[in-house]
Amino acid sequence: MADERSPGGPDWHGFPRYPPPWMILSLLASPILGAVDPRDRLRNAGKRFTDPAEALAQRVAERVIDLVVEVLDVNALMRRLDLNAVLARVDVNEVLGRVDVKTLLDQVDVNDLMSRLDLDALMARVDVNDLVQRLDIDGLVEQTDLGAVIARSSGGVAAEALDSARSQAVGMDQFIDRWVQRALRRNHPGPAAPG
Amino acid sequence: MSGRRHAPDWVTSQGHYAGSVSRFLAFIIDAAVSAGLFSLGLAAANLVWQVVTGHSVHWTRANIAVAIIFVLWEFFYFGYSWAASGRTFGMAVLGVRVVRADGAALDPWRGVVRALVFPLSFLLFCLGFLGILVQREHRALHDLIAGSCVVYAWDARAARLRFLARDAEVSPNASAPGSAPVTISADPSA
Repeated sequence: MADERSPGGPDWHGFPRYPPPWMILSLLASPILGAVDPRDRLRNAGKRFTDPAEALAQRVAERVIDLVVEVLDVNALMRRLDLNAVLARVDVNEVLGRVDVKTLLDQVDVNDLMSRLDLDALMARVDVNDLVQRLDIDGLVEQTDLGAVIARSSGGVAAEALDSARSQAVGMDQFIDRWVQRALRRNHPGPAAPG
Repeated sequence: MSGRRHAPDWVTSQGHYAGSVSRFLAFIIDAAVSAGLFSLGLAAANLVWQVVTGHSVHWTRANIAVAIIFVLWEFFYFGYSWAASGRTFGMAVLGVRVVRADGAALDPWRGVVRALVFPLSFLLFCLGFLGILVQREHRALHDLIAGSCVVYAWDARAARLRFLARDAEVSPNASAPGSAPVTISADPSA
C-alpha cells in the first residue's frame, strides 16, 4: 500500500506536494497579469488612428454646416413653415409662466414701442360700438362735467316737464297693466313689443 | 370693473306697446288742442264775417253746419297727423306713436282708416277702448281694424341722461370730476 504522504503525491488538501513548473510560473504571474491588460497596447495603437479621424470628421461636419447655413434661405424656410401648427403645439401658458414679466417690462422702452405702433391700423380693428356699449355712460355723466354740459344744453323747463310727464305716465301704465294681468289671471303676458 | 347700473323701466320700455294712461292723456291733450284750434278758427270766421258783411253772427257748435265742420276737422286733425307722422300733438307730448301691427312705420292710408274708424270705439259706451286695457297688445277696436298699434317712442335715454345730469348738478359731491373712476363693463349685455 502506497503512503499517501510520499514525495510527489498529493498532500492531504489535494494539492501536489511538488507542483510542476508551469503551475509555479502561473502562480507567480497572476498578480502581475491582474494589474496589466495585455490588450492595452492594441488599444493604444487603435487610438492613434481614431483620434485624428474623429477631429477630421468634426472639422468636416462644421464646414458642411457652415456651407448649408450659407446656402439656406431662412426667409423661404419660414414662409414654408406652418406657424399656426407650430404654435398650436406650444403651451403658451407654460411659456409665459417661465417669463419674468416684470424684468421684461423693465427692459422695454414703452415710448419707443408706441412710436412704432400703427395706431390707425390698430384703431381700424377696434369695434368702437362694442366699446361704447361697455362704457358706463351713467358714471361718465355723473362723475364728469359732461353732466353739467348736458343739463345746460338740453335741460329746459319744457324738457324737464316732458321727461317727468312721460316717465310718470309709463310708470302708471305698467302699474295698471300689472293689476289687469293679475285680475285676468294671466300667467303668460303678451308680447312686449310688436314684430 | 363694475357693470352698468339698471336703467329704469321707462327707458327699457321704448318700442313696447303703450299703456292706457299714456294713450288716454295723449287723447285728452289732442281733444283739447283740436277743440281749441276749432274754436279759434270759428272765432276768426265770425270776425271775418262781421268785417266783410257788417253783420254780427254767433256761430257755435250747436249749429248743425258747424257741428259737421267740427267732425270733419277732427277727422282731418287725427287723420292727417297719423298719416303724416304716425303721431298727433298729444301723442308727441306723451311720447307715443302709431305704428303698423308688425312694428313698421304706419302707411298713410292706414292712418286715414284709423281716423275714420276711430269713432267706432266710442260706440257702446266706449267698449272699443277696452282693448287698450285687456288686450295683450293693448290694441283698441280702431287699432284692430286699421292693423295698427301704439308704442312708446321717445328718447328715454336722453331723458335719463338729463335726469342724471340734473342730479349731478344738485349733488355737489357727485359732480366733482374724477371723484370716481368711469368704468367699462366687461359684459356688453349687462
